[in-house]
Amino acid sequence: MSLVAFYGRNAQEVLGLVGQHLYLVALSTGIAIVIGVPLGIWLTRRPAWRGPVLGLANVFQTVPSLALFGFLIPLPFIGGIGATTAIVALVVYALLPIVRNTYVGIAGVDPAVREAGRGMGMTDWQLLTLVELPLGFGVLLAGVRVATVVSVGTATIAAAIGAGGLGVYIFRGVAMVNDTLILAGALPAALMALAADGLLGLAERRLAWRAR
Amino acid sequence: MARALTALRGRARWGSPWFAAAVLATGCAHGDRVVVGSKNFTESDLLGEIVAQQIERRTALRVERRFHLGGTFVCHAAITAGQIDLYPEYSGTAYTAVLQHVAIADPAQVRRRVIAEYLERFQLRWLGPFGFDNTFAILVRRADAERHALRRLSDLAAVAPHWRAGFGYEFLERADGFAGLAERYGLHFAAPPTAMDLGLTYRALADGRVDVIAGNSTDGQIAALELVALEDDRHYFPPYEAAPVLRAQTLLAHPELGAALASLEGKITAAEMRRLNALADVEHRDIVDLARAWLREHVP
Repeated sequence: MSLVAFYGRNAQEVLGLVGQHLYLVALSTGIAIVIGVPLGIWLTRRPAWRGPVLGLANVFQTVPSLALFGFLIPLPFIGGIGATTAIVALVVYALLPIVRNTYVGIAGVDPAVREAGRGMGMTDWQLLTLVELPLGFGVLLAGVRVATVVSVGTATIAAAIGAGGLGVYIFRGVAMVNDTLILAGALPAALMALAADGLLGLAERRLAWRAR
Repeated sequence: MARALTALRGRARWGSPWFAAAVLATGCAHGDRVVVGSKNFTESDLLGEIVAQQIERRTALRVERRFHLGGTFVCHAAITAGQIDLYPEYSGTAYTAVLQHVAIADPAQVRRRVIAEYLERFQLRWLGPFGFDNTFAILVRRADAERHALRRLSDLAAVAPHWRAGFGYEFLERADGFAGLAERYGLHFAAPPTAMDLGLTYRALADGRVDVIAGNSTDGQIAALELVALEDDRHYFPPYEAAPVLRAQTLLAHPELGAALASLEGKITAAEMRRLNALADVEHRDIVDLARAWLREHVP
């Protein structure tokens, strides 16, 4: 069966899985931003913690997803089977680029500019929101962009824990050696990754233009 | 394979180390080497290792191991493409999943047709079976089985409407998988079964996240996790006799393989297989050591 025929026959299921996939990526990236950006900012205030925190985020990256799911299944609230566990895993994987780029973006602000702000009597909060964040935002956004694109790919493993998404077609296709099925999952995921990359890239360029 | 090699030769300008590496990576039998494959679960790895060591003990052939390949269909694709020379397969799996026949319960008929059709369609030979059956096992927690007096699969229909099921993708898709089982036993679960990774279903069952899963009857985890296999009293699952499947071409080139593997025939009982699986899965003993000890004891 060709891919086009497959989509024609299963349009509703495909749309449902695309929706699940988008939900997994959007929610997990959102949570990773809410945790990762403040954490990255905090690291610029407590540089001694930079090594341990980024090291831990690095270690998380290397844990295979099936092993991570295995650890999570028995845990209350964040575990079990289904979307929650998948989202926890995706957040864990998305944290590193966001924390690191937030830290690098802010730490990279010219010290002279920061000193000028302080000289004008800015509080730490004003310095952060009026000077450091606007100047470091491009780098921060680049981290979010990487995290989002990687999440679109990684979200296919959600199908291993009963959370659905486009990985369902990939797992089914691998179990049955059906290339059409594998493509049916992989192709929309690839397009989604390209679209996310393009949109966030556009946002990045507009920001760069405004900053000029 | 010949065509692939020619294609590789055409790229020899990459430099000879790369060329040598590429030829090694394609892994088909030539010269004095056989490639033994196995599927992606412990029992298949154990059988693959036993077969590999037996070949190493009894012939002068070099054995290359390609274990833990992604399931029935991947192994079948690999052996028909000549990427591997032999791997352990199950008669019922070949009959329904590869040959696409409707499952039947008669072991002799399954064996006869599988042997004939494999040779004719794929030029693959079925050697003598190892001596045990590994059928699908529908598993529940022991406590649940005792509380609801569940012994057979036909007892399950009464509790199913309150229970949740979790199955691997292969069991959900296969012709002898979930759909037919649900029909034969009139099973209607509280929700459609959760599709998940096979290995994770055991953990999900043990941790109470689902109530029914489909495993294999020789799994070492069954006893370790205090699970019970329900008896297939309406004979839904076809027989699954384990045996080595070998490329006919490889057997022609190396007839000594037949003699070496014939001495494994009928040597592994279901209880023995469960014990080996438990040692590997639950006690995390090394598969290579387990295979060596088993061979020393049973095939002196």
